[in-house]
Amino acid sequence: MAMAIAVYPTRMELLKLRQRVGLAQRGHDLLKEKVDALVIEFFEVVRRIQEARAKALEQLSAAHRALLMCFAIMGTLETKQASKEAKRELQVEISTRHIMGIAVPTVEVGEVERNALMRGYSLRMTSSVLDEASREFERALKLLIGLAELEGSAFAIARELERTKRRVNALEYILIPRLKEALKFIVMKLDEIERENFSRLKRIKAMLEERE
Amino acid sequence: MSFKIAVVGDQDTVTGFALAGATYAHISTTKEETLVKLGEFFASDEIGLVLITHRVAEELGHDFRRMLQTKRLLPLVLRIPDKTGYAPEVDELREIIKRTVGVEITIREEGG
Repeated sequence: MAMAIAVYPTRMELLKLRQRVGLAQRGHDLLKEKVDALVIEFFEVVRRIQEARAKALEQLSAAHRALLMCFAIMGTLETKQASKEAKRELQVEISTRHIMGIAVPTVEVGEVERNALMRGYSLRMTSSVLDEASREFERALKLLIGLAELEGSAFAIARELERTKRRVNALEYILIPRLKEALKFIVMKLDEIERENFSRLKRIKAMLEERE
Repeated sequence: MSFKIAVVGDQDTVTGFALAGATYAHISTTKEETLVKLGEFFASDEIGLVLITHRVAEELGHDFRRMLQTKRLLPLVLRIPDKTGYAPEVDELREIIKRTVGVEITIREEGG
């Protein structure tokens, strides 16, 4: 049972309340549409995440296998040394894009894969398995960057979805029922006053007729 | 804007991504150290993406989750499996779907 808002039972208040109910209802409908649109968008992103994740994780485990191979053949210390010598200048372009007023990240990345000369470690001291491992990790990194973009969007959309949903529910289950309750109260009260007035008039009429 | 990439994880993961060109790296040993380092990464304007292994993320537990909630839009944070392929049972995304949409979805191959 929704608690009614305290109002004076006057015709003026009735009109005002009707307006408020109309407004609340319109807001509610709009927000509800927004929720629906967000859900569609969200599921689209989720679907793409599933695909991207499967691919990225597969590549990542391939990369780890290649790295282990490298550890085994070239030696752990040498590999670590090479990783310290390697050029670590990878840049990603991140900007924000707006989906229905939500800022979601877009990540752009140039070519992640480099050739052995551009990696920066000394070729004389390293083995080709290191090139292999680096290449696999570069591929994995590229896929992971794509995945990060999608997950970032999913989180942003989910957050907005939660917020909108809360507002829809607040309108639907709290505000609108309360307003309607108040509306009903006023209508009843006005009817009651009408009836009182009617019987009063009748009584007065009877008294007047008696006097004549 | 251009951003750089940071990696937090075990020795092997960090080595691998360093070879691939990730600029910042931190090998996680103690929880406190890793949290401080992550704080630095999150506060930095240079870093656009932080890769962290599931195992480390889980060790950090609650503190890490709170950091995730209070961080700005950037850097993006992506949790990745380490060399053992370890990933938690509970899928973060699935939890979010359950909470926000109110239904659980399973995605299966089409045409099956």
